[in-house]
Amino acid sequence: MPDLGRAALVTSFLLLVYAVVGGSYAAWRGRRRLAESAQNALVAAFGATVVAAIVLLAALARHDFSFRYVAEHTSRELPLGYSLTAFWGGQEGSLLLWLLVLCGYSAAAVLTARRAGREVIAWVVPTLGLVGTFFALLLVFVASPLATQVAPADGAGLNPSLQNPYMAVHPPLLYLGYVGLTVPFAFAMGALLARRTDERWIVATRRWTLAAWAFLGVGQLLGAHWAYVEIGWGGYYAWDPVENAALMPWLAATAFLHSVMIQEKRGMLKVWNVLLVVLAFCLSLFGTFLTRSGIIQSIHSFTQSSIGPWFLGFICVITAGALTLVFLRLPLLRSKTRLESLVSREATFLYNNLLLVALALTILWGVVYPLLSEAVTGTAATVSKPYYNFFLHSFGLPLLLLMGIGPLVAWRRASLRALGRTFLWPLAAAVVAGAVLLAAGAGSSRIGVIAYTFSVFVLASIVLEFARGTSARRALGGVGWGGAFSSLVARNRRRYGGYIVHAAVVLLAIGVAGSSAYQTVREKRLHPGNSMTVAGNRLVFRGFESRLEGNHRAIRALVDVYRGSDYLGRYRPGKNQYFAEDQISNEVSIRHDLLTGGDLFLIADQVNADGSVDLKALQKPLVNLLWLAGFVFVGGALIALWPDAREERRLAERYEGAAVRA
Amino acid sequence: MARRGSPARLIVALSVAAVLAVFLVYTSLAGGTPSIQPGQLAGHTGKVSLVGKVVGKPSGDAHAGGLHFRLSDRNGAASVPVVYKGSVPDLFKTGREVVVDGTLRGGVFVAVPNTLVTKCPSKYTPKK
Repeated sequence: MPDLGRAALVTSFLLLVYAVVGGSYAAWRGRRRLAESAQNALVAAFGATVVAAIVLLAALARHDFSFRYVAEHTSRELPLGYSLTAFWGGQEGSLLLWLLVLCGYSAAAVLTARRAGREVIAWVVPTLGLVGTFFALLLVFVASPLATQVAPADGAGLNPSLQNPYMAVHPPLLYLGYVGLTVPFAFAMGALLARRTDERWIVATRRWTLAAWAFLGVGQLLGAHWAYVEIGWGGYYAWDPVENAALMPWLAATAFLHSVMIQEKRGMLKVWNVLLVVLAFCLSLFGTFLTRSGIIQSIHSFTQSSIGPWFLGFICVITAGALTLVFLRLPLLRSKTRLESLVSREATFLYNNLLLVALALTILWGVVYPLLSEAVTGTAATVSKPYYNFFLHSFGLPLLLLMGIGPLVAWRRASLRALGRTFLWPLAAAVVAGAVLLAAGAGSSRIGVIAYTFSVFVLASIVLEFARGTSARRALGGVGWGGAFSSLVARNRRRYGGYIVHAAVVLLAIGVAGSSAYQTVREKRLHPGNSMTVAGNRLVFRGFESRLEGNHRAIRALVDVYRGSDYLGRYRPGKNQYFAEDQISNEVSIRHDLLTGGDLFLIADQVNADGSVDLKALQKPLVNLLWLAGFVFVGGALIALWPDAREERRLAERYEGAAVRA
Repeated sequence: MARRGSPARLIVALSVAAVLAVFLVYTSLAGGTPSIQPGQLAGHTGKVSLVGKVVGKPSGDAHAGGLHFRLSDRNGAASVPVVYKGSVPDLFKTGREVVVDGTLRGGVFVAVPNTLVTKCPSKYTPKK
């Protein structure tokens, strides 16, 4: 079995090398049959990697401790589900998942994205092969997940914090996102190498980029939810380097998704788009590097492993290669058109791009700041929450506002009079909302009021766009409001899916602002019978209850919650004491108020020997909108992704025509 | 190339300038916090972020008089007494590596409340 797996990995490696060498020669010399064979090699490499992955999965399922990886990450009593998710619980398995996902994406992309043109695909194959070769090389020669040993009696087990249902979905989703960014990168490089710098590579990879970006977004939100309900400090995002590692490529990809529309519509920003896709891909590699090299202090500590320098080298090669290529192709990347006005859809997209990239780069600066400061001054210095929050406010709030302005501004050039008309309602809604908020006492946080006023403005402009589109379609006759609405969305999936994603971002902003700017925190030592008050809730501590549950002892503080004279129920924050792992874990208790979207978050911070508890209570208004935003986000992304036969026909006609003319 | 005066360039130039200005204002106001180990504490009078390993048995009450413990360098050479108030992470115990903000006052490292974090046992090392 291990031999089969290792042979499969070596096969995959050789096939990928062939895809690089044979593929580039074929593309360079225009050998069509050789190019096809390189493409087949890429597809076959996926098959070989699947075999290796199955071997590892089978070993994990059978607790075959003669596999070193299995012995190090599982144990006999570990349930089957967690034994399988241990696939990505360690470094070698994570790398195998990278390669597996990459080969899957590669095979699917080159087989389906034929619209990019044969010459481009011929160069895409070796580019994808090159990235795959790097990972296959690591798996074969440096960090093999299929290394064997004399089987020990039992394995070391999986870290308890990874024995969690979120473990089954959060890492794979992030990987689908990270790795997916390779596809637009490879097509951009393919287009440059083939000197086909029109927008075809963008059109051909649009759905791939969108899917990768959506996976990355959902993956991060799930991670935030995991942190919120399980780690139990009352937050969901802590600007930790590892969290930032996923956020940065997502921001760059968000900028890319917007700026490509300008290239498609107006043929501008070609250089910028290529640079953005290079940035997004390099940030995703950098993220993987960060989590593997141990080079930066993080709460999630990762061992200093031997593959750090490999990654750094690969990132340097990719960056240098991509930038050289862009430089060589600059003459081909000149725009035919130019920006006509500072008040136009293009201009708002440009502002949005600059803000997103600025945000991504300032986060990057914060992440590498310890390294830079150590290099310059000799002492590593870290930046913390205030730094990140400052830039989130400085760049994030204008971005939020732009989300409302952009869709209302016409392409090319907008007249101020027309602008005044379209802005009237959203502006009025925002002003009213601001006044109401101030009257309701939300002025305690200036940032909060600004965020909410902007959010209302954006939501109003989205609603207006939907309403206007629907009524225009209804005016065509024959359909009611419902029919007009659904046909509007169905005929412009990308646009209206995008607006729905915007609505999700607004929900996210409202949730973040509510749960951070307006949260109330109270801490108090309570003896049985004592009470404390937080945001109108009276919490009465009734004493402890303690139970023995299999591998741990569960201690729970019994807390009765009252609002006025109403009894809202008994909540049980506490701690679990794991015997074998000699580890304590905090078990928070959360009261969701679905009507207001807020949470009452209870933490038994310290259990004292005299029978008292140090209770920490947080009232987090509107925090549930964050999770709601996740569902809306997925909905919007799915609408934008859904295949559209009409669009396909339109594109086919457009490129048939182009081919004939050329 | 009569590209001078293109609004796109104006936008880019102005935005880059604005971003740089914002950035400079911020960094001149507040730099980062030095991240050091106990052995390097001498000479640092301001706020630092101390990284070290918990040695000896912690005593006291983090929610009353303060939790007292010692932090040593990773190699165990120098160590410093620490007094801390606030939430104590689950994973805090002797032998663990922790990070805590604070200042050195009269030979004792006085921690900023609620800044203690422990490093998770690595996802990528087997249990020893």
